[in-house]
Amino acid sequence: MDKINIDNMLAIEEPFIKVPLEQLRRAVRHTQKQVERETEAVSAEMAEILKSQYRLAPEELQSKLDGLIERLQTLRQDLERVTQEESQLIQRSKLRAADLHKLKGFESTTQPEFQHWCRQRLDRVLIDYMLRSGNLNTAQRLVESGSLEHFADTSLFAQVMSIESELKDAHSCQGALSWCAENRGALRKIQCSLEFELRLQEYVEMIRAKNTPAAILYAKKHLSPWSDTQMPRIQRAMTLLAFSPSTSCPPYKAMFDEARWTGLANEFRMVIFQLYNLPAQPLLHLLLQTGLSALKTFACLSEDPAEHNRNCPVCQTETLGKLAQDLPLSHHDNSNLVCRITGEKMDEDNPPMRLPNGYVYSLSSLTEMSATLDGKVKCPRSGKTFKLSEATKLFIS
Amino acid sequence: MDTLIRNCEKLSKHQNSSSTKTLLSISQAIEALQTARNNISSGSTPNTDDLVQAKQQVEKAQRQSDEHIRELYTNVSKYGKHVEKAFKLDLSTVGESKAFEDKRDELGYAILQHFLREGDFILAGEFARENKLDLPQDTKTKFEQMYGIVSKIRAEQHQLEDAIQWTVERREELDIQGNTGLEFTLHRLRFLQLVENGQATDALEYARLWFPRYSKDPGRMDEIKHLMGIFIYAKRLQSSPYAHLFTDQRWEQGARMFAAAFCASMGLAAMSPLGVTIDAGASALPVVCKVSGLMRDRKVEWSQQNELAVEVPLPDSMHFHSVFVCPVSKEQATPDNPPMAMPCGHVVCKASLEKLAHGVRPGTVAFGRFKCPYCPVMSSMADAKKVYF
Repeated sequence: MDKINIDNMLAIEEPFIKVPLEQLRRAVRHTQKQVERETEAVSAEMAEILKSQYRLAPEELQSKLDGLIERLQTLRQDLERVTQEESQLIQRSKLRAADLHKLKGFESTTQPEFQHWCRQRLDRVLIDYMLRSGNLNTAQRLVESGSLEHFADTSLFAQVMSIESELKDAHSCQGALSWCAENRGALRKIQCSLEFELRLQEYVEMIRAKNTPAAILYAKKHLSPWSDTQMPRIQRAMTLLAFSPSTSCPPYKAMFDEARWTGLANEFRMVIFQLYNLPAQPLLHLLLQTGLSALKTFACLSEDPAEHNRNCPVCQTETLGKLAQDLPLSHHDNSNLVCRITGEKMDEDNPPMRLPNGYVYSLSSLTEMSATLDGKVKCPRSGKTFKLSEATKLFIS
Repeated sequence: MDTLIRNCEKLSKHQNSSSTKTLLSISQAIEALQTARNNISSGSTPNTDDLVQAKQQVEKAQRQSDEHIRELYTNVSKYGKHVEKAFKLDLSTVGESKAFEDKRDELGYAILQHFLREGDFILAGEFARENKLDLPQDTKTKFEQMYGIVSKIRAEQHQLEDAIQWTVERREELDIQGNTGLEFTLHRLRFLQLVENGQATDALEYARLWFPRYSKDPGRMDEIKHLMGIFIYAKRLQSSPYAHLFTDQRWEQGARMFAAAFCASMGLAAMSPLGVTIDAGASALPVVCKVSGLMRDRKVEWSQQNELAVEVPLPDSMHFHSVFVCPVSKEQATPDNPPMAMPCGHVVCKASLEKLAHGVRPGTVAFGRFKCPYCPVMSSMADAKKVYF
């Protein structure tokens, strides 16, 4: 069973490949909008200038042209920067695809190169976990020690965390709203109401600051566009005007609750992950959960420490064992026997042998033992000694 | 994947040309504007031609850059389609497990153990600090000791004294564990090192000191006899029949062997448990995902079941416990339903045995006796003996 199942290995790497692609798509979209906007503005102004060229004093004309030149120069600068970013993202996509392509070159799970690749994957998964949890120093160290800059989505998570902290700590919707504006099309496709929630929160803050006239204007401008999907909530929001922030009436008290900011931050995280094809739970969780399940057996649950194998991750009672507590056991369609002495497989080539006291060991381990013990074998679990000839062969179909 | 690599290269070329062209047309517009502006001298009528020219360049820049960027976006989308084709699995079907809720600290400690075991003590400290975990001092000390010795083996000078001392001190313990190979490997490494350094006399003395204890082991003695012949070739090892003993990997192999023995002696796992689990997960996750995708309609969450729905094929190195599946009932053996061996040596679980026994009509001569499902040998409940794998 030492062959590598490449399709399975690749199946879980979707986010790895898709994230730079999504980042690239957004960068190009952003450029497109910016270039359109700026060139349109400059074009329109030029038309104006041509129309009114005889009515303008030369200095006025010059200064208008200077304005246009500056605008285009700024655009060019921005484009040069974005071009760099785009090209780096493409390079990153290529490097990641190349890393996955290496899998085709490995023949068996015991190859040192394959094991090295797996170690790197573990580091990648850990870096993703660290970035998600905000353990930035640890993430940075892991990236540096493994030279994994192109395999970590540091910039994306930096963006996520900056907007989150703006929501949670500074209680400001600014960054989140401008992100929503940039990604309106994609958000509409997934029918996401994050923008509405943000607008609602700003409205609530205006009421909290006792700025009623501004709140009403704000609602007219920013809440009413959502009336076909969010009418009941808009109505409740308007009713909020009649309550004070210290109200104890449950639905309105909930609207004034400061905890809503954390809720907004969480919702933002969920939405941006969805857009970038990142799983809601870290890949580390998913791999550990399914891995522990696949390894968990009855023996791991036993209270008897003799049943535990020190190499089995689920038997690490203090750490992974606790994590595996609520997870399903592994399923087996066929028997799989392991010798307690050597840890090797017991099958037709190395059959299981039953000692008179019922304990079973592999033929090879008993034979080796009897060579040093003068034809006798000692059962490690019970301490009893028997003759090798007393062991009977077992047949497991 | 190689499709993706090729498409990335294509995309890179497109992006390059698109951005160059866009920048060029914008630069041309800027130049035209600058010409128009510079040609305006105070007091005279504006130069319409210049202005018209500038306007035309601006409009050209607008058209062209729009065209180029659209083309680039199309190419990015094409690449996106190739990526879509490469990945069909939907990870969200397994993302709802609550099994790790409130277990953040346990996970933190598991990761911390991993960092300590890999010898990355600074990283471990950093992680512990960022997560407000206590660094497990005794684990740290054990691994620091191990890395102290292992790094000496791996270093340029390849110092083996500490490793040899540790091994000799624990000779009995290693013998009980069945690990007789480590000490000999280390002695052999040292012996070869001395020969390589031209210290033939020292090598001989070393051999005299350490090799005799293997005199009762015929396999080892053969190897030792073979090794002793190396003195003839002491001055030209690389061209001798012994050249294959001097590979660079021998140090890494020795270091790993020592690390494994050290871990065994400390009751620690030979390989990082976190690493093993992740590797198992890499095989398990796609399997669980596919099955979950099928189970979705019945609103059954995979992690709330008692057992996984399918078997996850794992390599032999990840089988740590014996699992017995009754060949008759296809059920896994449990402490309540243990495996039993019949006199013929075939093994079935107790429940299956009981079914076989009760299948015979009471009152007949053959009551309580039954034939083994796999061979002609007769057996009874009393003949069947418990088996402990």
